[in-house]
Amino acid sequence: MTVACGRWSSSIPKWTETEIDILKSLWLKSLPDLPPDPSNAVADNPIAAEFGRLLFFDARLSANGGISCATCHQVERRFTDGLQEAQAIGTTARHTPSIVGTAYSPWQFWDGRRDSQWAQALAPLEDPNEHGTDRAAVLGLIAEDAGYRSTYESVFGALPELSNADPVLLNTAFANVGKSIAAFERTLMPTSSRFDDYVEAVVDADADRQAGLLGDVEIRGLRLFIGEANCTQCHNGPLFTNHEFHNTGVISFPGDVPDKARIAGVAEVLTSEFNCRSAYSDDPERQCDELKFARTGTDLIGAQKTPSLRNIENTAPFMHKGQLATITDVLAHYNEAPDAMIGHNEAEPLGLSDRELGQLEAFLATLAAPVSD
Amino acid sequence: MISCRIVPYCLLFCFLVSFSSQDAAAHGGVVEEDDLCVIKVNYLRAQFKIYQPGATGHEQYCEDLPLASESVFVMEYQHDSLSKMPIDFRIIRDVTGKGRFARMEDIKNIADLESATVYYRPPIVEPHIYTVNYEFTEEGNFIGVVSAEHPASGKIYTAVFPFEVGFTGFGYWPFIIGLLFLIQFQYFLMSGRLKRWFGMKSVAAASLLVCGLLIAPASFADSLIVTYTTPDGDPAINRMHSWILHIENEDGLEIEGAIIEVEGGMPEHDHGLPTRPRITEELGGGDYRLEGMRFHMSGYWEVIVSITTDTGNFEVTIPLQL
Repeated sequence: MTVACGRWSSSIPKWTETEIDILKSLWLKSLPDLPPDPSNAVADNPIAAEFGRLLFFDARLSANGGISCATCHQVERRFTDGLQEAQAIGTTARHTPSIVGTAYSPWQFWDGRRDSQWAQALAPLEDPNEHGTDRAAVLGLIAEDAGYRSTYESVFGALPELSNADPVLLNTAFANVGKSIAAFERTLMPTSSRFDDYVEAVVDADADRQAGLLGDVEIRGLRLFIGEANCTQCHNGPLFTNHEFHNTGVISFPGDVPDKARIAGVAEVLTSEFNCRSAYSDDPERQCDELKFARTGTDLIGAQKTPSLRNIENTAPFMHKGQLATITDVLAHYNEAPDAMIGHNEAEPLGLSDRELGQLEAFLATLAAPVSD
Repeated sequence: MISCRIVPYCLLFCFLVSFSSQDAAAHGGVVEEDDLCVIKVNYLRAQFKIYQPGATGHEQYCEDLPLASESVFVMEYQHDSLSKMPIDFRIIRDVTGKGRFARMEDIKNIADLESATVYYRPPIVEPHIYTVNYEFTEEGNFIGVVSAEHPASGKIYTAVFPFEVGFTGFGYWPFIIGLLFLIQFQYFLMSGRLKRWFGMKSVAAASLLVCGLLIAPASFADSLIVTYTTPDGDPAINRMHSWILHIENEDGLEIEGAIIEVEGGMPEHDHGLPTRPRITEELGGGDYRLEGMRFHMSGYWEVIVSITTDTGNFEVTIPLQL
């Protein structure tokens, strides 16, 4: 009988220069300055942002006085609600997406049917299944609430007379409500996670600090994430999203037909009442490059917007209708990459082992961090 | 010369292929073509798929369904005109007595269509793709009827597709029958009876014809040269930027006044560019400003430049690794 002799090490190879570049591209410190929103003149106005914050949490902005933006976009769940389909006045068509960091996205909603945060904020107010109210009622509340009225008028000027106002003036005032909510939402940003601290330690070549931040399993998961598992093809950049639309073959929700997603969303945004080209945009030039060069065509069938992975564990269930309950389910789905019910699944089967999927899951947990105040 | 021994195997192959697409012959509404299930609404075609997501997940069916459960019918149009046509969708219990051979005439002869109907969706215009979700509560034979109305002529086009819910397949019977057929065929072949009947050459020729080879289409070479520069810096992921395209022919002659279309995408991911870039200005000297370029993922991209000049149409593919 012989006894094997030798040394086995659990240490993981060092990162290459190319890998360090990829790690830096995912690092929160690489996030560029917030892009300006020329369509919203009060986007960076702190009074408007505070006004927007009050509106965001105000349940009077609903048909039954019980639904606010925060009913579904709950702070403690990274501005999601833990449900498959959002429950407000009625049941909504999709799972509540997070709004953290969406100021960086050219498109809002899962299907990108709005092209600014302010235009997005207006849609749920008038959706019968969400707030179920309308623009006249929203402006009526602002007119009657002395605090709201004075804040509104200090930012935007006199509130129009609501009883017999020109519809354009009413719509402008309604757009201002959205612009205030957007000014608040622009402040919602992710903060540095354990992963970001680790990247900093890698950049600083500080081995001791690295060892204290991520364990072997998490590092192996990170290596898969930026390599073999192809995650960064879509979940790239410091927000772990390319803000684009992809069909990943997610199964339809019980009782529903498969979601057409972006192909319907792009048709809607091009003609939506409050889009970048509308009279309610504050951008005098109305360049609207995103609309001008917006992609259409059948390869957008079933394509939903890539969500951020920061704080992913707080945003369960997953996918546009919460079809997948856990991160384990999501990783198993991508590992299999089944044929899409409609359109084409862009993902390819990964062929990873259960152990490797576990490593990926361990890595994803390192992206947890509180949302900025 | 074809050995007589391969003939039965060739025919077995043909038999299996024809068995797998038996529905094509059975009725006109839904057929299997090249591994694709297609619904023909008169001359208009759509890829046709049925799913039972709650029971069998992503499993695709062409017609018959294994279980009485939630079923999602999908038509992905192969003709754009279906995007503009009001389409209605009806499922009836098979009261025609014709089973798989039911035709539109049989549907028209049903005295009380409404009472036979288990699901009806009134006409609706659905761009690009049409979907229906119906939960079968009982097994049995059903008939689907899809009607599309031409928006200009008002003419109604219809497809009829009988199907079975609770269909568990034919088991091994088709293979046993096929095997018996082959044994008999081989016997005839070896005994020389078949040769006496038809003559060997004609059998071999027919087999070859049925199992004929496809010839790959020829590709055409480009004769224009396209180069590009990026005045806004290297293309970064997810940043809208512009290109300057420079076009000249193989003799170095700069091409002016060309009509240029730009497409592109990631062939490995089966999707196009996230934007629809356009030429916004001709700069002279064979240079054209291309705006609206954005790549949203790292990986292999192709940008396809289609150029129309006085001398013809050209297509140049620019590969990019980002």
